[in-house]
Amino acid sequence: MIKQMLALDGVLVVCHFRDDGAFVEGYGILPEDMMVRLAKFAHDYKRMVQGNADQLSMFTQMPGWTPPGGWMVRGQTASVCSVGNLVCFVDNAEASMTEVMRELKEAASYL
Amino acid sequence: MSSIDDLMQLEGASAAFSFTDRGELTEHRIADDSALTPEILDLLAHVFVANIAIATMQARGWENMTGQKGFYPIEGFTLVGLEWSAVGNGHCGVVLANDKADYEAAYAILGH
Amino acid sequence: MSVYAELAELPGVIAAGEYSYRGDRYNFKGQLEEEMARMASIMCRATTMAVHMQADILAANSGNSQLTPAQGWVVRGPGFTVCVVANVFCFVSNEAGSLNTVLAHMRKRLADVEELI
Repeated sequence: MIKQMLALDGVLVVCHFRDDGAFVEGYGILPEDMMVRLAKFAHDYKRMVQGNADQLSMFTQMPGWTPPGGWMVRGQTASVCSVGNLVCFVDNAEASMTEVMRELKEAASYL
Repeated sequence: MSSIDDLMQLEGASAAFSFTDRGELTEHRIADDSALTPEILDLLAHVFVANIAIATMQARGWENMTGQKGFYPIEGFTLVGLEWSAVGNGHCGVVLANDKADYEAAYAILGH
Repeated sequence: MSVYAELAELPGVIAAGEYSYRGDRYNFKGQLEEEMARMASIMCRATTMAVHMQADILAANSGNSQLTPAQGWVVRGPGFTVCVVANVFCFVSNEAGSLNTVLAHMRKRLADVEELI
């Protein structure tokens, strides 16, 4: 199911990870050991973003920040983005982040 | 004597280094018996910049909400590892052996 | 006596507490209001998550385990310092100059705690 994410332009890797960070499945150009590391990073980053969203919520007293819907980290040529327990590694030149995030949200809702 | 030299005089100092606002390593000293490398120090510099930025946000939020002052501006961040601690502030950092670490002294040097 | 209660008795310690890594439970002792302790727990939990992730990345990239696993972290302001080891936090007044004593006590008492539960 999540393999369909690879059909989107610029999506190089998609991984599914458990709530404890364990790798469930992954598809794309990276070897499996790198996908395991990507899954671990995405899990850790998700918890960190959750923590920062909690603080933003606390300090601003403004609703709508938490729970966070996902995150994106954009590098010079590649980006990593995640929704729920899915994470994608994408090529900036080829991908539409808007489309990737929309499809990730859809795919994450079926997990 | 530069701050880096001062930091290396601390007991148990394994390395001392300076870095840019973005966390890129600019200068470093590593003790002869240390396994640290410039690449690790560069990563540590990025850890300092990231955590001092987050701590600054927290200090701002805390002081605004509680009225309790004394946290802002942030004057340092330390990562306490298994055997070593990395103490950083501003543009400098030092790696100290935990069993010999004098954090007060490190912060005093880093504050100047 | 729990570690945070021991810490609260040390010179220079304003307050100390413990927080759960997941959820929002916490306990504390010292000169903090209930809401401040809740906020401190949220903040300390967030930074601890970040520091553990960073330490793991450091270890994975350097092949060097001198700094990992992360035991805790310290952040210093002009008046106060916050120390965290494992899931215990401590607010210390800088004036007392007791940071070394507090951290040594925390490291000694919490040395066996490694896993983020």
